Amino acid sequence: MQQVVADFHIHTLLSPCAEVEMTPHHIVMRAAEFGIGAISITDHNGSANISAALKAGERYGVKVFPGMEVECVEEAHILALFDTLEQSRQWQQLVDKKMSGLKNNAEKLGAQFVVDDDDNFLWEEERMLAAPTKMTAKEVVEQVEALGGITIAAHIDRPSNSIIGQLGFIEPDFGFVAAEISRAGWNRNLQSKLQRLAGFLPYVTDSDAHNIYDFIEGPKNILQVEELSIAEIKLALQHKGGRSIKPGHFLDVDLR
Amino acid sequence: MMKVNELMSALNLKLLTPNVSLTGEIKGGYASDLLSNVMGQAQPKMVWVTMQGHQNVAAVASLIGLAAVIVAGGAPVGEDTLAKAELNEVVIFSTSMPAFEVVGKIYSLGV
Repeated sequence: MQQVVADFHIHTLLSPCAEVEMTPHHIVMRAAEFGIGAISITDHNGSANISAALKAGERYGVKVFPGMEVECVEEAHILALFDTLEQSRQWQQLVDKKMSGLKNNAEKLGAQFVVDDDDNFLWEEERMLAAPTKMTAKEVVEQVEALGGITIAAHIDRPSNSIIGQLGFIEPDFGFVAAEISRAGWNRNLQSKLQRLAGFLPYVTDSDAHNIYDFIEGPKNILQVEELSIAEIKLALQHKGGRSIKPGHFLDVDLR
Repeated sequence: MMKVNELMSALNLKLLTPNVSLTGEIKGGYASDLLSNVMGQAQPKMVWVTMQGHQNVAAVASLIGLAAVIVAGGAPVGEDTLAKAELNEVVIFSTSMPAFEVVGKIYSLGV
């Protein structure tokens, strides 16, 4: 059994709202520096920086789960996590067919950059990624699961762009494996208050970082598993066979 | 007080839940696409105008005891939503009219 610090919700510079310092290489380098053993790259409706993150992850010994922060038609954010780049690519193909059709306004919303694992610029994504897709929440959950991935209801304590904000509550059998509480919500102890509306799902806490400072300072999880895989994360969320996950973990660092 | 079936004719709404009674009375209305907000703000017997078609719409309407739900702007309503609505005796209408116009018309009818 191994114990690692895990953060399942991190944006790269592909997300228009993220800082350009959020290159896959830089994120992985900082993860290694601060002892964060497992991360997931979750850009808005996009995954073009995943392959660079995986390469960097191998170099630095950081486990990278290919992911995405999908926005469903109900305008709620859902984290999709996978084991492999291939799964992530198949998922992206499904999402591509259901994009809003809007073009990004880089000047107003921020640019969406794709880079390699050595921080070199590759291309700029011109579709508006941070917009609702035409997939329902149910379709996202079912289709990610069909590809072997898992879904987490993102920042459920937020009034907007969260499943609870948009849809009021989560049916316990909806298909999410966990619900994520944001840093602000965790600090206000909203996890117990939201338990019933969240369908009694297990919680995770992630940085949802858009810059390196928030990545290091933001909440993480202590994950205890046999190996770093999606199947093991599922077991850890259910606390089965000695696996476990403990949300609300903060690194003992002072960056100020 | 206006009844649900009178509102349906006045606005030429499309009824999606044919097995639910339309004789309920309407007392005020609410417009929001945030279901968490509707849960906190809408009152019994209100008519609710929204663009959401998720099955939680039926659950929220039932929970509060709303007179009817109008899904505006031609937004799609899921089959599971309608099944849940029929089961819980929630009236759901759809219309291609944008939400702004729907609300304006309801308001001018004196609701």
